[in-house]
Amino acid sequence: MTLDPNDLDEREALAALCKRLGDDEFVLAERYTEWQVRSPSLESDLALSNIAQDELGHARLWYDLLIDLGYEEPEIVYERDADEWHHSTLVEQPFAEGDWTDPIVRSYLYDVAEKLRLATLEESTHPKIADRVGKIQGEENYHLEHAQNWLERLVADDEGKERVQNAVDRLFPYALTLFEPVDPDVEDDIVDLGLRDATLAEMGEEWLSVVIPYLESLDLDVPESGVEGMDGYAVTDEMLPEHVGRDGSHTEAWSDLFEEFTHTYHDLGRDQSTKIMGRPE
Amino acid sequence: MDIETVKERAGPREFSPGDDLPEEYRKAATRMIEFHANSEIMGAYLERPFIRQAPSIDRKLAFSAKVQDEIGHGQLLYRAAETLGIKTREEMLDDLAEGRGKFLNCFHYPMDGWVETPMIAFFVDGAAMRRQATLRRTSWEPYAHAMDKVCFEEGFHVKHGEDILRTLMNGSRAEQRRTQEAFEEWWPRIIQFFGPTDDKSTHHDFAADVGLKQMTNDELRQAFLDMYVPKARKYGLEIPEYPRVSQNDEGRWVVEEDDLDWDEFFTVAKNNYEPGLGQINGRARAQEAVEWVRDVIEGDGAPAGGRSPQAAD
Repeated sequence: MTLDPNDLDEREALAALCKRLGDDEFVLAERYTEWQVRSPSLESDLALSNIAQDELGHARLWYDLLIDLGYEEPEIVYERDADEWHHSTLVEQPFAEGDWTDPIVRSYLYDVAEKLRLATLEESTHPKIADRVGKIQGEENYHLEHAQNWLERLVADDEGKERVQNAVDRLFPYALTLFEPVDPDVEDDIVDLGLRDATLAEMGEEWLSVVIPYLESLDLDVPESGVEGMDGYAVTDEMLPEHVGRDGSHTEAWSDLFEEFTHTYHDLGRDQSTKIMGRPE
Repeated sequence: MDIETVKERAGPREFSPGDDLPEEYRKAATRMIEFHANSEIMGAYLERPFIRQAPSIDRKLAFSAKVQDEIGHGQLLYRAAETLGIKTREEMLDDLAEGRGKFLNCFHYPMDGWVETPMIAFFVDGAAMRRQATLRRTSWEPYAHAMDKVCFEEGFHVKHGEDILRTLMNGSRAEQRRTQEAFEEWWPRIIQFFGPTDDKSTHHDFAADVGLKQMTNDELRQAFLDMYVPKARKYGLEIPEYPRVSQNDEGRWVVEEDDLDWDEFFTVAKNNYEPGLGQINGRARAQEAVEWVRDVIEGDGAPAGGRSPQAAD
């Protein structure tokens, strides 16, 4: 499919998809970079820095598709209102100093979703999306492997396991917001146009069917254990936290984070953002 | 090997872990490399908030990569120091956290805003480049080897800092004014980067005699000024009136040593500079907060952090 510049529904669907993808990666990277120079060892510091930069690079790739639609970086990042960001509230959550289970559990919950999400974009009718998926997948596999290695090591210790359990209890409900719509009509268009070949509900079910058995295999309690019931796994409204992010509603921590990363741009009175790399291929 | 033999043989990359070296040499080399490694960590700690505050995605990526590089340099350097058999990496990191480890003067000063970032990333890193380039010829081979990688990456950092400075000095008048103010605040500290003049330096003679140090403080400061005074001017920065800096008959830049606050320098050097304690204590808290992770994984056999391309040199 070639994008029809005059089809407004099509443009809106593509923009909504790229924003939700890019916003997730960008905000996740912001939280990961907080661990730089604070991780448990120099080696884990280097590894998490790599992951943060991968995620930022992916945000760049998705935001670049918005550039095709006529957007510019300032309006995508620095001049957009805080309540027009569509990332899942999972990625904006703050964490207590030293709580190393946070990036690990967060990464596990996110990267399983990311893996499923990328698979639904492999055959996208928008060629640039399909093309970029391949670039991203290799890195994401490593992220998941990194998170699982750490989870398995942490739960092998009693204290570690208790801390992992707390992080799961805290982050799991927010992770479910990864499968919430930005706007239900636009989400239908995304699937109907073939930009993505699965619905959010299908992706949520699949995510639960991977995450719940895995966490249970580590002898962890999962807040939504047993949801498979008679009709299989499903994300329902009762399971969701108050703020889901996708619709622009965010938790308190978001406004502080947003204020911090837009501070310099506004403080210096900038109206453009410096590019030092060319646009991605 | 006795100390006289060490002095006789002292040359670039002359000694390696296979050599039986006197304790005096190993202690001097450890002190020097540990100081360098600590400085990498504390420099990274100082710059870390600007990953978030960077005013564009590309700058953010570059800043995150730079901070990561510095941690990688710290890792390499601690390893080069460990091979001397005087202190383990844990001991060095604990000393740093507990306020005993020493590090570069410039990383003791708090940094509040983006306009200050090129003061570190261009001037201080540029100064570090001068020193590090000479250390590729240091007599402790693992140190010289680490410098090969460090210098390669540090070249990118200086370009990154220079590019931020160029953008600021081509920005609005307010940006230019604020950058000039930051420069005036940092300039004396940057000149002091190389330490006191050789007459006042305590460790130089021995380190030079055994080939650890390749150039004196004065020579390094001279080389730095000759290169960076013109660069600062090129971007429109005015050299502050104090400390007095002037060109001598040979066209080389000379600084009036007495215009610099050496009391403050030595207070900083002893980790007693009050505003800088925020960084030392902040880093200590961060390390203490993740102590439980090190306890949990201790003895489980696998190296912490999984696969890391940066970890291999």
